[in-house]
Formats: sequence, structure tokens, C-alpha cells
Amino acid sequence: MNVTFELNGRSVTTQVNPSDNLRDVLRRLGMLSVKYGSSSGETGAAAVLFDGRLASADVILAASADGHRVVTVEALNTERQLHPIQLAFTAVGAFQSGYSAGAMILGTMALLEANPDPSDAEIRDMLSGILDRETAYVKPVEAVRRAAAMLRGRQPEAFGPLIIEPLTDGVHACEYDPDDEPPNAPHAVPRLIPSRDVPEMAVVGKPEIKVDAVRLAKGNPAFTDDIDLRGMLHAKLLTSPHAHARIVNIDDTKAVALPGVHAVLHHRNVARVKYASGGQSWPNPHPYDQVSFDDKVRHVGDRVAVVAAETIEIAEQAVSLIDVTYEVLSAVFDERLATGPDAPKIHDETDTEGIFDADRNIVHQIQAQRGDVDAGLAGAQHVFEQTFRVHQVQQCPIEPHISIAWLDSDERMVIRTATQVPFHTRRMVAPLLGMDIKDIRVVKPRIGGGFGAKQEMLIEDIVGHLAIATRRPVRLELTRTEEFVSSRTRHPQTITFRTGVDHDFKLVAQDMHVIGNTGPYGTHGQTVQTVTGLRGLSQYVSPNKRFFCDVVYTNIPVPGAYRGYGAPQAEFALEAHLTDVARELGIDEIEFKRNNWVRAGSEMDIAPHLGERGVVEDELDEYPKIASEGIEECVAQAMREIRWHRRDDPDWVSPPHRPHIRRGIGFAFCMHGTAIPFLDMGGCSIKLNDDGSFNMLVGATDLGTGADTVLGQIAAEVLGVPLDDIKVYSSDTDLTPFDTGAYASSTTYISGTAAMRAAENVRKRLKERAAMLLGIDEPCTIELRDRRAYAPDGRSVSHNEIALDSLHMQDQEQIMGTSSFVSPECPPPFAAQMAEIEVDIETGQVTVVKLVMAVDCGVAINPITASGQVEGGMLQALGYAHCEEYAYDKQGKMLNASFGPYKIYRADEVPEMVVYLVQTMEDSGPFGAKAVAEIPKDGVAPAVRNAILNATGVAINDIPFTPERVWTALRSHDPDRC
Amino acid sequence: MPLPVAYHRPDTVEQALSLLSHPNRIPLGGGTVLNADREPSELEVVDLQALSLAGIETDGVRLRIGAATTLEAAATSDRVPAWLRSIARAEAPSTLRTLATIGGVIAGGCGNSVLLAALLVSDAEVELAGAPDQPLEALLAHGVPPGSIITAVTIDPKGEGVVARTGRTPTDVPIVAAVARTLPEDPSGRNPGTSMALTGMADTPVLVDPGKPTAGLAPKGDFRGSAAYRLKLAAVLSTRAIKALL
Repeated sequence: MNVTFELNGRSVTTQVNPSDNLRDVLRRLGMLSVKYGSSSGETGAAAVLFDGRLASADVILAASADGHRVVTVEALNTERQLHPIQLAFTAVGAFQSGYSAGAMILGTMALLEANPDPSDAEIRDMLSGILDRETAYVKPVEAVRRAAAMLRGRQPEAFGPLIIEPLTDGVHACEYDPDDEPPNAPHAVPRLIPSRDVPEMAVVGKPEIKVDAVRLAKGNPAFTDDIDLRGMLHAKLLTSPHAHARIVNIDDTKAVALPGVHAVLHHRNVARVKYASGGQSWPNPHPYDQVSFDDKVRHVGDRVAVVAAETIEIAEQAVSLIDVTYEVLSAVFDERLATGPDAPKIHDETDTEGIFDADRNIVHQIQAQRGDVDAGLAGAQHVFEQTFRVHQVQQCPIEPHISIAWLDSDERMVIRTATQVPFHTRRMVAPLLGMDIKDIRVVKPRIGGGFGAKQEMLIEDIVGHLAIATRRPVRLELTRTEEFVSSRTRHPQTITFRTGVDHDFKLVAQDMHVIGNTGPYGTHGQTVQTVTGLRGLSQYVSPNKRFFCDVVYTNIPVPGAYRGYGAPQAEFALEAHLTDVARELGIDEIEFKRNNWVRAGSEMDIAPHLGERGVVEDELDEYPKIASEGIEECVAQAMREIRWHRRDDPDWVSPPHRPHIRRGIGFAFCMHGTAIPFLDMGGCSIKLNDDGSFNMLVGATDLGTGADTVLGQIAAEVLGVPLDDIKVYSSDTDLTPFDTGAYASSTTYISGTAAMRAAENVRKRLKERAAMLLGIDEPCTIELRDRRAYAPDGRSVSHNEIALDSLHMQDQEQIMGTSSFVSPECPPPFAAQMAEIEVDIETGQVTVVKLVMAVDCGVAINPITASGQVEGGMLQALGYAHCEEYAYDKQGKMLNASFGPYKIYRADEVPEMVVYLVQTMEDSGPFGAKAVAEIPKDGVAPAVRNAILNATGVAINDIPFTPERVWTALRSHDPDRC
Repeated sequence: MPLPVAYHRPDTVEQALSLLSHPNRIPLGGGTVLNADREPSELEVVDLQALSLAGIETDGVRLRIGAATTLEAAATSDRVPAWLRSIARAEAPSTLRTLATIGGVIAGGCGNSVLLAALLVSDAEVELAGAPDQPLEALLAHGVPPGSIITAVTIDPKGEGVVARTGRTPTDVPIVAAVARTLPEDPSGRNPGTSMALTGMADTPVLVDPGKPTAGLAPKGDFRGSAAYRLKLAAVLSTRAIKALL
């Protein structure tokens, strides 16, 4: 049938099927800013203006659009110049991945047309239908405010950090002053406390606009799905309805016979090649317990078969025609039951090597120790023991996993895919496809969020198999439900701490026991749990430490990498436990923790024993030490911002006019890592162009984190040019240098150092050429700044002149530099996390009022992108603490595999958030930088938990703090109260 | 999306009823529920958008809200009482509120719908084409009569209403909500009383006796709240709602 509607001011007539939705039709018409986030419209990624109102195109039948007006963000892109709304969003760093940029801009347009001066509540209401997993909506709200001001004729001030004075001397704690008011500024503005050790720089440390801002603001085709290949087929997975079953028979006859079907693949026609799917350095940790298609399924959502067909509808129909006979087996979901005698053996195949104890479902056993924990506990004046349970959640990138594969003109395999690990993926997919690495090219376009879910070779093998089988391009995109049950999640754990404390409140022993639930496949199971031990035993000084962990198989959807990577689990247990210890001992929790936390010069004594390459048992002669930290400044700023003293005021805790409300403030101390020492490596190549600009090729993978921008700033600082003169291209295995990928908080530090060194190589040659042109004998005396090379006497040549001379005039050469970097160090960022909450003691409902994080991330290369990372990380962490959880029926089927039932925060309900960036100079990092991406995930859950404790006196050791769980705990503590 | 195999857009109610008299045809309102369903099913949809069923009007006594009125329109209309506007706004996020319709909310009959509870306590009567009009409570109990379509709902707009709710987060669909409404005192000084409805306690929102709000209720538990917890919430929230009205 034909439909006619007005699209961006022009009448369009197009043929549609009755089942077509408007999103897909708009994308067919080239409106690629309209994105898929789910079929049910609640992500808002496909929102358009429908008759002038913001509406999700996912749930509008294309036929229903006949006679209506539709506007997409492409309507604004009639010229190079950005619209003021687009400018406002880019100016404040409101886009991270930018996957839903079009929806946000259109929503702003509609809002401001109706109301030129909206309140924050009205702005948040407009954004309520656009789920954003990245920004916590802080900077988008600020962007709308600025856009409104600009459209009213006001020119807002340049957006940048608020510089504030330190409260400490950088080393010692300061006395808390309850009368000292925190600085007043919009929430989106990061508070920056400069360090005297950090020199003034031209580009580094500045709030530069992201290098990809224009393409994101315009909704230009940048993501995996934004290409159109002739003859492309569509793939659909058949997944298991059972948590544990053997495939007795699979009959694909009807599916193969369906017109339009080009391939049906399953365990009977795909080679059985063992692998581990975690995107990690070679050699990937064993066991290799997966194959592309198996004759056994181990969780609901596990792969059974895949179809490639002319359309997704035909593929879906073909999937329904595959007849599978299962022998259903018993299943186990709880890690505490997985090793018991009644648990089924999940990996009973004979070709998986390296499982620690397959009969008991123990895939890994990890042990590490320093000192003598048993003796330490025996001699301690006080011994405390607590067990905590942390649950399963999902990364929820709004862009689901999507891969497109085809054979190019040389019959090499090209895989365009939403991945955090393109180089690992190329290496890992090669043996599965029976190809050499050299014959595979993995291209990482823009990614719509990853958060670890895409640190996996997840579906690239499937599209590769199908491209070989069909010799046609093949596209596979997971649905939202599949994203929940067939991709990756966070590991549930049961964590027990035993802690010995001496008479002077010093820790004398820490004993940490973990049962980690890795689901049915090992993938990141060993390394995530290793990090749990590392983070649980690193941030406090104790002469005796021990970590013991069983990583066990179960039949839940597969846990893998998720931002924080084992740390949020550990930090929840640790920071809750030590708060309770302080209460038991009758001393202030911050004082108790301060009495024991690490400082500059402290040894990181457990770290070498818990490395990604395995456990080192021998004591070392020397341990790495903490070189930089701003812990006391973080704590002081966070205490002032949250107004810490209120927690001790009974009238504040129990407001007289709200008798069922209790208020509380909680604290958590956080320490994370920066990259994996001796393992993470990044490469960078920079070349000079005719006009004095540079192309920078990096293997690093920008997920929306701003990595391309940060790396560009580092190079620009070295080369004496503005950021706009650095053109960054990242992550294409044919074109860019190697990089381990975007994980482990490594990009700024590892890839940034590679970028800095590559730029230094270029700088050296630029100076030599400049010296030649200026007649200077000592090139090292030349300085690069403002696109020019200056001699000590003030004479100069421009980069443009150097480029033209070197490329065209004399002794011609391509000035370029390449470098790579692997670090022996892992300088930790630190943070103080605060949470203010209210508890309804009659219902158990917890309302989070405010989150504050003061972070020492060294020198924030870009304070806007850095603070955006903290804001977004905190909101994800709040979901972990408060409302997100996987719910299952007794057969292991997920009950809430869609947004809404699986609750992630939306714009009109987020608490107030304030970010402090406490600058320190980390000499090992590029321009003093440490990591910032993951530490925001660590402290929210324990801070909220400790705030509930402050409010009610009740300690809750399981998350999330959903109403019934809290109500049950309150009732257990005081049956009369509830 | 239920993968419709045919699409119809009738111009009149009569045409719509005729089309819907055939099997495997379903009415399409805002589409936020129907079009969100990806289960393959061979249906024909009858799009009601051309029937001019949108609009909010009053005769001075009752407020009539057309079935095709979007939640956004209800949330921004000065004719709708303020307390009801805020409930309409909270029913769906911005990108779905502009599509979802009052008629769709009623036809859906979702047990968690605070808006439905608010309509219940507002003495809602559902106007139907192809079947006699009926109270909302009856329609929720028995479903939309086969062969009919909802054309409007009328409510008593007088009085004040409140919501007491408990959810995982501030805008989460409540686990349980108590919606209460009272009329202002009449000239004789007699208080006509309070009406109350609960969500999260049955398959549809239910009108309850404010004095015994949980009497006869046997909610089903789910991952957000067990049956026992829901009963506890119902008691607490009902009390709060009543207190807030005083």
C-alpha cells in the first residue's frame, strides 16, 4: 500500500506493508537519526515530531502516518552550521554516544516552541520518554536551558568548570565546618579543584567540544546500522526456551524450504570450534567452553540456530518453523547451590578443557594471600563477619548488539560491528570462521553505548558464518528482549568479609570469600571475580589479607563485563561492612575508614597477586606504591556538598511534619584502577597534512566516552594546535594501530600516552624542519604553539609552511609519528561518594534525593567529558543499588525483559547530582591523567545502603533496595513499626 | 507489532463497526500497546484515527473525554481537573503520552493504571458504539463488548483527588496506588463522602470501600511485590489518601 505524509516539509509517497512501523520506513527513506532502541517505544531513540509532538516512531504504523506531518532532526541539517539547539547540546557535552541525539533535539524544539522559558521540571518531563544510559540527563537538561536562552536572544556564558578553592592542604584532613556552604552553580557544572602541581595548558584540561559533536548533533550516519548494502540479508536467532536442555533433534526442513530463506545454521552444520567469548588479550583465559552452536543449551536465551533471509519477517517466520526436540535437564540458578550434590553438571561435554571442577560446576578457584590471615584474626581484639548478596543487572546500552558482515571484493570478511574490542574480535572470530586474521577486517563505527556488554565477541561469529554460507551481506541486530537474555549481564555474587580490628581501630586482617556466579559460560568470570578481590582488599591497609573465590557455573543468562568489572560488588560489601564495624566499635565511620585507608606511598600489596594473567603466590621484593591521591580533598568537598552534619540531627533524620519519613546520609570511600599493568596496550599514528593539520589514527574505541576527543586534546597540546586541527579516526583493524579496546578504565591513560608519544615523535620532526627553515642550530629550543613553531628570538614558521615545505619543496618526507604504550603502573583514582535518601518506614520505599561524588582522576583532560562520565556512571550505579534486577520464574525465564518492568531511571526522577573533580598530578599518566570511567560505579550502592542505615538504624546486606526488601528488613528489625 | 496483514482506516463509526464485525480484526487507537507487541499474529487493524473521537468538552455537570484524546491532551487541558491532569501526565513518558489515548487506557484495563483508578473514582461512564454505555467498573470487569468500540468516557469533574503510591522509583509504575476523591461539601453541609480505587491489587484497578480498603481483595504477587506486601501497602496508602483529602 502507498502512504503519503509530509516529511521534513516535503510530501513523500512511499510503499509500505501493513506491518511496517514508521521508524523502519523513515530509515528506509534515509532518516538515519531515527534509531532502534526497542520495539515498544519506551527508549525514545526513534522519537520524531509527529504532527508537532514528540512521539516514538517504533509504535506508529507507517500506514497510520498517512496524512500526517513528520519531522526528524535531518530537517535542521540544511547547511553546515548547527541549529542553536544543536549548538547548545554540543556546547555542554550533552551527547556521549549520541545515539538518541535526534530525539533529544526534536523534543527540545517542540518544547521551546510551546514554551520558550521552560522550568527544569518541564524540561525533564520532555526528556522523560528518552532513556539515556550515559549522561544521567544532567547535561541534556542544561543544554535545553541554554538552547532556550539562546532562542530568547540571550548568549549564555561559555560552559566550563567552576574553579573552587581547596579545603585541605592536599594531604591532611580538615575540620568539617557545618556553616561552610557549598558553592552554588548549576548541577551540570563540574566543580574543579586545581592542583598547584599542574601547569597551565592550552588544550588539555579545557572544556573542548567533542570532535564528533557535529555528526552526533545532526544525526548523520555514523552507527553500525547506518549503511545500506546491496542484497543485504537479515538474520534472526532461535534461542532456547529452556534453562538447561540437550538438543535431541533439530529439523530445519520447513525453514530451509521457506521462500526467501538463504541459510539456516545450527550445531549440525557449523563446525564445532571451542572458544571463550570474553574480549580479552591473547591468550584468552580458559576454559574455552563455548561453540558457535552447541547440541546443548544452558540458559533461557542460549543460541540454538540462526536464519538468514531476504527480510526480517521471513527470518522470523523461518525461525518459527525450526522443529527442535529438547531433553529438558534440571537447572540451577543460585551460586550458593551450584556446587551442591543436587546441582546438575552444566558442562558435561568432553572437549572443554580447563574447568577447575566440572562435577561441582566450579569453573575457577582463585586464591591470594598476603601475611597470615588466620593468625591476624586470632590475635585481633575484635573480629567481625558479614555476608552480602549482590544481584544480576544489565548494561542496557540503548543501541543493542548489531553486526553486519560481508565479503569484500577481495573476498576478505568485513565485519562492521558495535564492539568495544575490535582487535580482540578479529583475532577471536578468525578460528571460528576458519579464516586467517589477515583476511578479516573489523570496523567499529560509532557505538550507542557499551558499558562492557560489547567487550565480547558476541554475535560477530554468527554474521560471519552467515556471510560465508550465503555470500551475501548479513545483518543481525538483537531485539531488546534478546539483549536482556542473550547478551551479557553483571555477575551476581555472595560475598563474606571477616575483619580483624586492633585496639587502636587499625585493621589487622581482612578475609574475603566470594562465590561468583558466571552463568553457564566462563567468559569474563575469572577476571571479574579477580577484580572483586582486588578492589575488596586494596583500599585499606592491613598486614594480613586473603581472597578466596569459587567462580561457579549456573543456568542464568550469561554475566560478563560490566563497567566496574567486579568492583561495584566488592565495594558494596566492603564499604557496608566497614561502616557497620565502625558503628559496632562506636566511632565515626569516616574516622574509622580514614584511620585505615591507603595514602600516597602506601603499597598496593594485593594487586600483583591478583592479576589478569593469574595469581602470583610468592611475596615480591617490592610492591607498587600509590604515587598520587587527593583523598582528603575529595572527602572534604563531598562532606561540605552533602552537608554531612545533618545526619546527626534527630530533627532532620525524623522530620516532625512527615512522621513516616526518615532521612539519612551515607558515605562510601572508593578506589579503582587505571588499566591493567603489563597487559593493556594502545597504539597511535599521527601524520601531518598540507595545511598543518593532522590525521590521528588510534586503535582506541570511543563508546561515547569522549575518548576520541580526549586523545585529540592530548595530541593537540603536544603539537601546539587547536583540537580542531586533529582529525581522529579510530578502531578499524585494517587502518588503525592495535589497541586492546575500551575497558579497564584504560583509554585515557594507555591510549592517551600512546597518543602523546606519537605526537612527541611528530613534534620532534616538526621542530627539526622548523629549525631548518629558520636557520636554527638547536631544534630543541623551538616551541610549538598557536599552529606555529617559534624560535627563541621570536621568529616563527607556521605548521602550514612546514607541511608544504616537507611535502612539496625540499627533502620531501611525510612527517608522521607512531607509538604505542603499555604501562607497568596502575595508578588508582579515588573518590568520596555521598548519598542523601529518604525512607518511607511504612512502605519501605526509598527515595534518593542527592548524589555527590568527588573524584580524584588526576588531571581531567576534558572536565566536561570527565564529569559526564561521573554523572552517567553514578546513575547506572543508582539503578544497581535501587531498582534494577533480573526477575525469573522457577524455570529460569526472565520475567521482566523490557524497560519498565526492568526499571532504569528516566529524566524526570533522577536525584540531584553534583560532581567534583579534585585534580592531582599523576606523573605516570599523560599530562597527569588517571582513569575516571568506572569509579563512579563503585560507591553509590554502599552510600545508599549506609544512608538507609543512618536513617533507620537498619543494615540491609542485599541489593537492590526495592520497597518490599527494605520493608521486610525494617519489619524484621522492629515488627511494631511496620 | 502484531504484524498486521491489512490496514483499514474507516471514516465513520458505522464503517468501523462493520469492519470490526469480521474476525481477526482489532481496533487501533494510539498504538502504544498494540504496536509494541512483536508476537507474530495475522491480524487486520482498524485504525480509528479518522473517527473524530478526540476532544474534551463539558456540559456543566459531566466532563466528556473522547476516546481518541491523547494522554498529552488530557494532561494539558484546562477543562480536566488539575489532580487528574497530573495523573494523566504520569501515566506514560513524553514520547508515548502523545500517542496513547484515553480509550486505549480503558480498553487495556491494566491493573496498574493509576489513570484508570482515577477515572473509577470520578464516576466514569464509558460511551460505546455498538453496545450500550456502561459504568467503567462494569466494563473493566467484563471487557469491551465484542463488536463495539469505545467512543468516550464521561466523568464527574468536581471534587478533589489524591494519589498515594509506592514504587521502586518516583515515576515507576506503582506497585500499589490508592486514588481517592471526594466532593466538596454541598450547601447543606453534608459531606457526600469519598470514593477510592486501588491499583496493583487485581487484574484491573478496583473500587474499594475506603473504610475497609482491602476487604475481599486477593492480589497476586510478582517480583515487585508479594501478595502480603501488596495488602499491607493497600492499607497504608488508603489511609494516607484519606488523610490527604481531609
